[in-house]
Amino acid sequence: MGVVHGEEMVLNIGPQHPATHGVLRLQVRTDGEVVSEVTPYLGYLHRCFEKHCENVTYEQVIPFTDRCDYLASMTNNFGYVVAMEGLMDIKVNERVEHIRVIMAELQRIASHLLGLGAFGLDIGAFTPFLHMLRDRERILDLFEMTCGARLLYNYMWVGGLSHDLPVGFVESTYRFLDYFEPKIDEFVKLLVHNKIFVERTADVGRLPQDVAISYGVSGPNLRASGQKWDLRKDDPYSIYDRFEFDIPVGEGGKGSVGDCWDRFYVRVLEMKESIKILRQALSSLPKEGDVYQSLPKKIRPPIGSIYKRTESPRGDLGYYIESDGTNIPYRLKMRSPAFTALSVIDEIAAGWLLSDVLAILGSLDIVLGEIDR
Amino acid sequence: MTVDFIFDFLNQFFTSLAGNEFLLLVAILLPCVVLFGFITIYALVVIYTELKVSSFIQDKVGPMGQGVGIHAGKWGLLQPIADALKLLSKEDIIPSSANRPLFVLAPFMIFVGAFISFVALPFGDSIIIADLNIGIFYILGIGSLAVISLILAGWSSNNKWSLYGGMRSAAQIVSYEIPAGISLITVIMLAGTLNMQDIIIYQQGGIFNWILFDNPFIPVAFVIYFISALAETNRTPFDLPESESELVAGFVTEYSGMRYAFFFLSEYANMFVVSAVAATGFLGGWQSPFPNALNSPGWGVFWMMGKTFFLIFIMIWIRWTVPRLRVDQLMNVCWKVFLPIGLVNIFGVAIWTVLFG
Amino acid sequence: MSTDQDKLITELVEKGLTGDMEPINSIEDRVLRSKAKAALAKAKRAAKSQETAEPKKKKSEEKSSDDLPSSVNLNEKIVYMINEKFSGSLANENTETHIQLKSDQWFEIATWLKSEPSLFFDSLQCQTGIDVGDNTLEARYNFHSMKHNHYTEIRIAVPRKEATIPSVEQIWRIADWFERETYDMLGIEFSGHRDLRRILLPDDWEGWPLRKDYLVQETYHGIVVPKMKEGWE
Repeated sequence: MGVVHGEEMVLNIGPQHPATHGVLRLQVRTDGEVVSEVTPYLGYLHRCFEKHCENVTYEQVIPFTDRCDYLASMTNNFGYVVAMEGLMDIKVNERVEHIRVIMAELQRIASHLLGLGAFGLDIGAFTPFLHMLRDRERILDLFEMTCGARLLYNYMWVGGLSHDLPVGFVESTYRFLDYFEPKIDEFVKLLVHNKIFVERTADVGRLPQDVAISYGVSGPNLRASGQKWDLRKDDPYSIYDRFEFDIPVGEGGKGSVGDCWDRFYVRVLEMKESIKILRQALSSLPKEGDVYQSLPKKIRPPIGSIYKRTESPRGDLGYYIESDGTNIPYRLKMRSPAFTALSVIDEIAAGWLLSDVLAILGSLDIVLGEIDR
Repeated sequence: MTVDFIFDFLNQFFTSLAGNEFLLLVAILLPCVVLFGFITIYALVVIYTELKVSSFIQDKVGPMGQGVGIHAGKWGLLQPIADALKLLSKEDIIPSSANRPLFVLAPFMIFVGAFISFVALPFGDSIIIADLNIGIFYILGIGSLAVISLILAGWSSNNKWSLYGGMRSAAQIVSYEIPAGISLITVIMLAGTLNMQDIIIYQQGGIFNWILFDNPFIPVAFVIYFISALAETNRTPFDLPESESELVAGFVTEYSGMRYAFFFLSEYANMFVVSAVAATGFLGGWQSPFPNALNSPGWGVFWMMGKTFFLIFIMIWIRWTVPRLRVDQLMNVCWKVFLPIGLVNIFGVAIWTVLFG
Repeated sequence: MSTDQDKLITELVEKGLTGDMEPINSIEDRVLRSKAKAALAKAKRAAKSQETAEPKKKKSEEKSSDDLPSSVNLNEKIVYMINEKFSGSLANENTETHIQLKSDQWFEIATWLKSEPSLFFDSLQCQTGIDVGDNTLEARYNFHSMKHNHYTEIRIAVPRKEATIPSVEQIWRIADWFERETYDMLGIEFSGHRDLRRILLPDDWEGWPLRKDYLVQETYHGIVVPKMKEGWE
């Protein structure tokens, strides 16, 4: 960027800052505007989730999992419940499986809307953020209709669900899908192909594929770097293997493969795929079925351990559960996708300008609750 | 001109003091006080407009419910007054490690810079406080005063974020003055004078006599001037110095209460000044678009205000639609795109005028 | 599921494996058709993994769950290869769910695990530290290979007083932060780690929280640290 070097300035972005998605401190070493090193400091939101889980029963863990990634609570619950049912060998009935998939996909759309809107806000586009929040409100209304909560649901229980679907849910969801599909195209026109936005994000923060795998990056971030890997297709759990949907992969549409624009665009395309899955799941939803049918009387898993991964909107969410035969977990570890996504920031943000560092941070779509637990 | 008019009026009135310098002083200060009142009311109006226009664009409701006699209605007309009262009543915090004299000086300087450009703006046929014969040149020159005050604000806050904001802002304003000036040169070449009222009189005779439609190169100059004006007033897409999501609040991070209000006010005042200059130079000022109708002095004020507010509305519209540019892209656009096009423009206008009159 | 449906699905899967999709596609009942398709996909996957795994060298206990047969084969294969190359590093020969190693040659084994073409574990999925009681701490690594799509779990046990394991952060870069977290929570030191410091707790916190004998400190810089409540106090 030039041969003149002044003094290096050490700058703290955060912990209180409008652009970091939560309480995160980034210590940035800059020379003028060019950043030479980015060091994240975590732990401001550490709430001792894993230690708590060693003191409460298995059912009581579920509200705790909600609060880890508070923007995608349904998929957190889903991951835990799938792991526990694998450990205890419980099979749930068809209606429960379909409802779980419907809720998880709606949650995926809601989380992507917020992540994309916040990214636009960091770049300086104020309007798409508000449009996306307006659409997200409709999804939260659907959730509120079902279980009474807008953000932290405690909905999926080991062996079933907490509430059955209310009357009129299926019609409301169909109405929402019909309303929402054209909005994605409107949004694509407004922001995705906007020249200024493309200038800000294309070729910025390239994440090569092998670096991504070595850093454990997963989910849309990995798919944007060109690796076609989605747990719903490559390691299916629940009934995902019955639905037909594509996996969008970053192809360097407006720059190189794996830049911020790709990470952004992959999420937009994923929302469309989620709509496809939702339509299929809604049409094959069985009308009969008791959601409390397979709830065990007491959750006492056999002695052993399991590691199970599911696909959350941010990547692969893994639960490592070790049980010692009682009704309290012996050890529960949550492997969060945002933790691994944040670890890669030093690698890809060094050498860019200060505004780019914030753009890269926004494109990784992290949630501090999940990183710090 | 206004000052002459008032001086003559006072001369007739106070015949005993006729010709005295005291009357001259009153004749000068009176319009300035009126102008100050005008700026205050204008600020309230434009803040309300920005809130309402942004809420229409963003599909939200905006200010509502506070209005004299329209309490539960759809207009929140008292919102800007409430904002102003809130800012007045806030605690005045000066950081202990800040450079006190400069910290206090910066908001005043920037407001003074905006205010003294107002005295040269033509509001109507003979309604102008200082009819300088270097009108446009004077306004362009005063615009640079903002740079010093922004650097002062950024540096004296003793805060790395403010420093960043101040530096970026200085670079941006200084660079974008050049394309703005070059675009205005085309106007000056056609009108043949730097005097604001003479430029407007040159454009009399209806909409097709306006400089904008004179020459195919002029619309290009207009676009360049408008975008450079956006950059000079630190509006999105060039609002990097005060970008909310990156630098907290840029160079105004440490300012609170009335001092912050001054920065705020002067940004809106600057918007008015550059829109008025664009309206004068390109859109015919207080000339009515119909050749022979609606051109009394009262209508003149209406046309001038209308054109200026239309350009301000476009500025607000652009702010809420478009993301912001990065610093080096900003500089790129200025030096590598606008400057060459502006220079080519000057040649184009000159050659066209010579060939086609 | 009734046995009639069971038999029907097995038939359809057999026909599907030979390439004949007609019978499956002509079923009218949507639920049954999708179940048949899922069973077919599962059967195809199992067939593929049977081809890549070597036949069992030792007889081990039968597990009734569906996806263990291929991973038991894989674990045995890995154990066999480890015994050949790095003798003496296996802690015991049990390979049902995981491989138990000793900590001395871990760095070399890890490098080999990543580079060996038939294994190619290029992704460290999760690293868990756990206090198994008995004065032992364990670090458990879950690996996954993108190329071959197979998994394994490796456990390394160390004594509580001298908990040291060689660090693998140069091999899988995510181990950098995973090991810092395990160090932070359990106090296992990873030798060779370039920047081992606490990640979630403040740098001057005392104690290793996830150990079972952890006692919370009374105050931290003058702030009283609240105690964990037992039951519903």
